[in-house]
Amino acid sequence: METKNKLLEVKDLSIHYFTDEGVVRAVNNIDFELARGETMGLVGETGAGKTTTARGIMGLVPNPPGRVVSGEILFEGKDLLNASKLQMRLHRGKDFSMIFQDPMTSLNPILTVGDQIAEVIRLHEKLSHKDANRKAAEILEMVGIPAERMSEYPHQFSGGMKQRVVIAIALACSPKLIIADEPTTALDVTIQAQVLELMRDLQEKLGTAMLLITHDLGVVADTCNKVAIMYAGQIVEMGSLENVYDNTKHPYTKGLFGSLPSLSIKSKRLVPIDGLMPDPVDLPSGCPFHPRCPDCMESCKSRMPVKTEVSPGHYVRCLRCE
Amino acid sequence: MSNTLIEVQNLKKYFKTNHGMLHAVDDVSFTIEQGQTLGVVGESGCGKSTLGRVIIKLLEATDGKVLFHGEDITARPSSLDDRRRMQMIFQDPFSSLNPRMSVSQIIAEPLQIHHVCKSKEDLDQRIRNLMDTVGLAERFTNAYPHELDGGRRQRIGIARALALEPEFIVCDEPVSALDVSIQAQILNLMQDLQEERKFTYMFITHDMSVVKHISNSIIVMYLGNMVEKSDADELFEHTLHPYSKALLSAIPEPNIHKERRRTILRGEITSPIDPEPGCRFAARCAYATEECSCRTPELEEVLPKHYVACHHVRAINGLK
Amino acid sequence: MKKKGTEQGHIKKRSQFQETWKRLSKNRLAMVGLAILAILVITAIFADLIAPYPYDEQDYMATLQSPSWEHLMGTDEYGRDIFSRVVYGSRTSLYVGFISLMGGALIGCIFGAIAGFFGGKTDNIIMRTCDVLHGIPQIVLAIAIASTIGPGITSALIAVAVSSVPNFARVVRAATMTVRDQEYVEASQSLGGNNTHIIVRHIFPNILAPIIVQATLGIGKSILLCASLSFLGLGVQPPMPEWGSMLSNARTFMRDYSYMVISPGIAIMLTVLALNLFGDGLRDALDPKLKK
Repeated sequence: METKNKLLEVKDLSIHYFTDEGVVRAVNNIDFELARGETMGLVGETGAGKTTTARGIMGLVPNPPGRVVSGEILFEGKDLLNASKLQMRLHRGKDFSMIFQDPMTSLNPILTVGDQIAEVIRLHEKLSHKDANRKAAEILEMVGIPAERMSEYPHQFSGGMKQRVVIAIALACSPKLIIADEPTTALDVTIQAQVLELMRDLQEKLGTAMLLITHDLGVVADTCNKVAIMYAGQIVEMGSLENVYDNTKHPYTKGLFGSLPSLSIKSKRLVPIDGLMPDPVDLPSGCPFHPRCPDCMESCKSRMPVKTEVSPGHYVRCLRCE
Repeated sequence: MSNTLIEVQNLKKYFKTNHGMLHAVDDVSFTIEQGQTLGVVGESGCGKSTLGRVIIKLLEATDGKVLFHGEDITARPSSLDDRRRMQMIFQDPFSSLNPRMSVSQIIAEPLQIHHVCKSKEDLDQRIRNLMDTVGLAERFTNAYPHELDGGRRQRIGIARALALEPEFIVCDEPVSALDVSIQAQILNLMQDLQEERKFTYMFITHDMSVVKHISNSIIVMYLGNMVEKSDADELFEHTLHPYSKALLSAIPEPNIHKERRRTILRGEITSPIDPEPGCRFAARCAYATEECSCRTPELEEVLPKHYVACHHVRAINGLK
Repeated sequence: MKKKGTEQGHIKKRSQFQETWKRLSKNRLAMVGLAILAILVITAIFADLIAPYPYDEQDYMATLQSPSWEHLMGTDEYGRDIFSRVVYGSRTSLYVGFISLMGGALIGCIFGAIAGFFGGKTDNIIMRTCDVLHGIPQIVLAIAIASTIGPGITSALIAVAVSSVPNFARVVRAATMTVRDQEYVEASQSLGGNNTHIIVRHIFPNILAPIIVQATLGIGKSILLCASLSFLGLGVQPPMPEWGSMLSNARTFMRDYSYMVISPGIAIMLTVLALNLFGDGLRDALDPKLKK
């Protein structure tokens, strides 16, 4: 990837929560980068640190108890972590915006959807009420909702339609990056297919880069160019789709694929990963995955694996690959 | 057939709402053989959960019959014995367990209601056995649900359902709230238990890949109607109903080589309140004609043991 | 999301009660309230030992005396030691407060739970009755009760209990309706549990929090109401000391001997304040959403 095309660079980012029970190490030394127009899937299970990563980029880590303890986040070369609150506020919505998981709760129930979109536009662009409303109508049409429905309230929309409104709000100021946190998890499959198609189309049309947070490897296969697998706050495997899906290296990634019931092959039994996600307050020594790993070696219990490039652009954190 | 455990005949369940009659389950019939798993697939609001609840009599049927071992159980008042023989595993491992009860208290509840155990020792022994069966370590005996993760909570729910050694278990989306790696553990557990104890399952889910994995036969529901019914393998080999096709093609598969031919449905599920006559899927169907919106399609045997409710099923699939 | 991580893995053996206590003990105001309450309860129990004089000992040589070392809070018009009377008065006040509240809570909870659980017509009948009850001013209700069975501590108890029923019924009904729709209630039905079993085993333990809170906040109100009844001469009868009736008696001497009003007044205020502080703290501690 050429340097000038880099939109977002995350270097050695760690975010911890300091709670009464101890330090929750939610995100630990993650690196990744995203080029303009590219889509990256961030995959992991509950508690893997996906949402915290997204909040870190948006500058929305609740503080206290959360704090970015190390690392850099560069957006178009500018360090976001050293940006002032005001600068961050100007960035949010205009340069990058977020789509939340639950469309039911991320819309304000007492404002019409048109007002909610126009509000975002007026925050970032000096437009009159009328112009902002006109632009809001255009954006609604773009996500497939007739402009006449602008003056309706969120409860008058179905789940899929609400998620379209949320997408419209995220797109209102044509941001360069969209962070989508499980945007289709709350939706039915047929509606999910509609929303994913819409997101793909819009991305192509507008050239927006996207960080798609999900637990669903299928959704990633459908929408992303590259993928990062997170486990216990670390990126354990990252690369292009071909790298990760066809040449899976990390035992956790292999475990995830083995856990999925397949539509194409009839298997008698699934091959799940033994055990449970570790407690982020009390992560195991060495490789955090070693207690669940089928290929665990003695050294895995004491030494933390480092990021290794196994083939161009395919990174794995596993001692067996070093 | 002598091995039929459950036979559902023209089952209907309507709810009265402020806007009219909600047809949650409308004229559904099927049978489940002993030791088999019937998968019920559909999206939210298709009546699949209601169907499960009517069968085990958590809800009263509006019309139709449910035969259990050939006896009509809808007609007679619910007895403790019926309760014992039919159990349910719930979707949400968070809200289906009482937060104020410890693991052992939760598992003990069915045993106490049915006065199964003679002594405290007997009860403790049974709880230990059940926890062992579902793979819960003994150190969790006094733990509270909120101290456990989703997978372990779902194991508690399963242990509770197993406590009375039922014959038939309705599983209402038992894995949809779980992470994939945990989901696989629970699915394996349920399959092992079935093999060991010859349970009969009715497995309700929205996830086509899960239902394919676990079921022997499948029914696909749309807005309270059964649109397709067949053996699991047959259904995936010859998916005939346009809705089943769309449902199948909408699933994003974790496979980057498979070519995708998406049929993306337009529109959203219409309202099940006082539905007009005609095919309920017509509004979203690419093949819908005039006939579809005025005449309700009957379920017919299109291929051997493969039933579909669609006027144009033969034309769409190039069958005779 | 990330907080969830802390509940996974190893199991901390800590009951809900211990957790509530841990959260409560961090709330300084609530602890102050609890300390005052503890002192009050100890005072009431050991009144015989604490009070320097019997509550009804009259000393006509020493009437209407200002506070001194002999009489810490002075004496009243019969020469009775006010400090001793305040100390003994805590017995009556706490007794009336707790008993009337328990009575009201019990009846209110039963009706509230029935209304919330069954809904429909039952709900309507119970709640509309409560509305009517709520519409009658408490004092008027108390006067009516007192005038039928005669003034005295019993009629005060009944009056206060009856007037607290609607509040409890309403709180319990709302809580029951939320819990009723939880899946574990349905799970219990599917196991064969009958309505009584479900209400006792599942609903009641889960609505305890709002009940406890309503109760702590309600005791303060009950003590106040009882005091005002006594103030009007409808509650506790002399020579039994009760803070409200002491206030009522002192009223005539208020201009010249203000200390007579101040002592029982402060006692009432402290009790109500302590209960409110403690109740607020308890409400926060019992709310799992505020869990850190």
